[in-house]
Amino acid sequence: MGTEYRVMGLFTDENRAVSAIEAIKDSPWPLRRVHSPVPSHKISDALRLKKSKVGYFTLAGGIAGFFAGFLLAAFTASQWNLVVSGKPVIALVPFFIVGFEFTILFAVFGNVAGLIHQMQLPEFTGLEEYDPRCSGEHFGILAACKADELEGLKAFFQTRGGEINIFSEKQEHQ
Amino acid sequence: MNELTFAKIDQTVLDTLKPPDRSYWLTVGILFAGALAGAACWIYQILTGIGVAGMNNPVGWGTYLINFVFWVGIAHSGTLISAILHLLRAGWRNPIARAAETMTVFAVCIAGLFPFIHLGRVWLVFYMLPIPNQRNLWQNFQSPLMFDVVAISTYLTVSSLFWYTGMLPDLAIVRDRATGIRKKIFTVISLGWTGAHEQWRHYARGYLFFAALATPLVISVHSVVSWDFALAVVPGWHTTIFAPYFVAGAIHSGLAMVLTLMIPIRKLFHYEEIITVKVLESVAKTIIFTGLIVGFAYGTEFFIAWYSQNPVEMAIFKYRPTGDFALGFWIMVVCNTIIPLLFFFKKIRTTIPWLFVISICVNIGMWYERFVIIISSVSRDFIPHAWGLYSPTMIEFGIMLGAFCLFFFFFLLFVKHLPSVSMTEMKETVEQGAGHGD
Repeated sequence: MGTEYRVMGLFTDENRAVSAIEAIKDSPWPLRRVHSPVPSHKISDALRLKKSKVGYFTLAGGIAGFFAGFLLAAFTASQWNLVVSGKPVIALVPFFIVGFEFTILFAVFGNVAGLIHQMQLPEFTGLEEYDPRCSGEHFGILAACKADELEGLKAFFQTRGGEINIFSEKQEHQ
Repeated sequence: MNELTFAKIDQTVLDTLKPPDRSYWLTVGILFAGALAGAACWIYQILTGIGVAGMNNPVGWGTYLINFVFWVGIAHSGTLISAILHLLRAGWRNPIARAAETMTVFAVCIAGLFPFIHLGRVWLVFYMLPIPNQRNLWQNFQSPLMFDVVAISTYLTVSSLFWYTGMLPDLAIVRDRATGIRKKIFTVISLGWTGAHEQWRHYARGYLFFAALATPLVISVHSVVSWDFALAVVPGWHTTIFAPYFVAGAIHSGLAMVLTLMIPIRKLFHYEEIITVKVLESVAKTIIFTGLIVGFAYGTEFFIAWYSQNPVEMAIFKYRPTGDFALGFWIMVVCNTIIPLLFFFKKIRTTIPWLFVISICVNIGMWYERFVIIISSVSRDFIPHAWGLYSPTMIEFGIMLGAFCLFFFFFLLFVKHLPSVSMTEMKETVEQGAGHGD
């Protein structure tokens, strides 16, 4: 068992944060997380993030919603089974409207479910290794190192213009 | 504008959340009293019967449904600003998007109350819900009124979720600066948001889908509201122009309400550097556009009535500008189509008092538009011996007053307890170097 330190480099400039991310990928220190006050394409590109899969949840919700809405309307109409004003009992046009509204509703439910699932929220343990300045104007890069590498990692961030925040060490299981 | 920094944006918005002074609570108290007065009127109506309202044959739809359509309309610009302008990447939306979204949520809540009030026997409201019941009574979804139940409840749900999701990063900002009980509350409601790259990756995508879904929804909702009228065989209602006409009118009134709300907030909370005059000017320009659409729709209605040579249609459109409700008609025309044209003058659309006064005029005009559409048509139906007049009673005025008070009560609570400007979106604007009006 060894002790792992988590060190966060905090940058006020997005470009410096991006160059630090690029550099740390070639270093021995594993990159754990990057925090930013705004969504950043530059950071996404530097981390080579894949496209989110939230859309699949949204699509599934939308498809389920259309059929749920249309079938609900068809079901309630079939309980009466009365021809009103010459209209068919299972009427396509008005039921399509109900289907449309349910498509949107369930797609949004799917979207929210997708967000909750993919972002793994609510999740409060992440706050333990988080610097509140990251929601203000700082870009935070969290990296891990062994005890004997701590000074090197600190120097890595400081030479690139970053401030340092060291979190309490964690026991690394081997 | 160029001096705006991330820290300054945070500080300006967080300053609005400082403990309010006595005048704030006094205003909140007055509005709450107004809402209670409205509630008392409603309780009186429930205990006495729907007859205490002025509605009777042939005018069975009165101020309750006028207010319903009015508030649904107000709700529309929030989604226009937050969803449609987000998709169009209009930078000027960012400073006002949060307040407009909030306005949407509260306006839909208020709108949703009016069908309940209009029902009279409100305890039978469950008849509108497709739930199994002892008598095997099921709704008929061929009725536009049932479309409305589905559309409005969908709109309320979607706009609430959109509002909350959009606020998540800002709630985390408040959490990170708060202390004590406020920190605990914001820790819970921000769901542990840290702005980690994995969170942003999914969030940005999900928010885009929200906007993409809310855009057709907002158009469908007021189309559905218009079909409450257009699918009825009533002169002045039974027309295919109603859906786009109602959608344009809804956005027209909603934008006016955005100005009405944002101008005092801008002054009170020192938002001048965030909500610039250019932002308000952009809203005014959009009001010119929607006002012209609404004016075109008014003209088209008259043209089609003449072009059809249908005597009943022609009679109702002659009755509107000259009959018993002519005053309402001319208020509608002047306030919605003539007065907004003043915004063509740069001097007027960049002068705050003018913007505020004209926005109030449009609000009044749009209320009267719904009055004219709903009342004039049913009061002069096909059969002359069944014609009749309508005037609201004090109970209806009381409920209407209560609704307005409730809306402003909620809004006032919101601006002092939650971030009324999206700090994150403002930072994005600054980060991308895109102007938000300047």
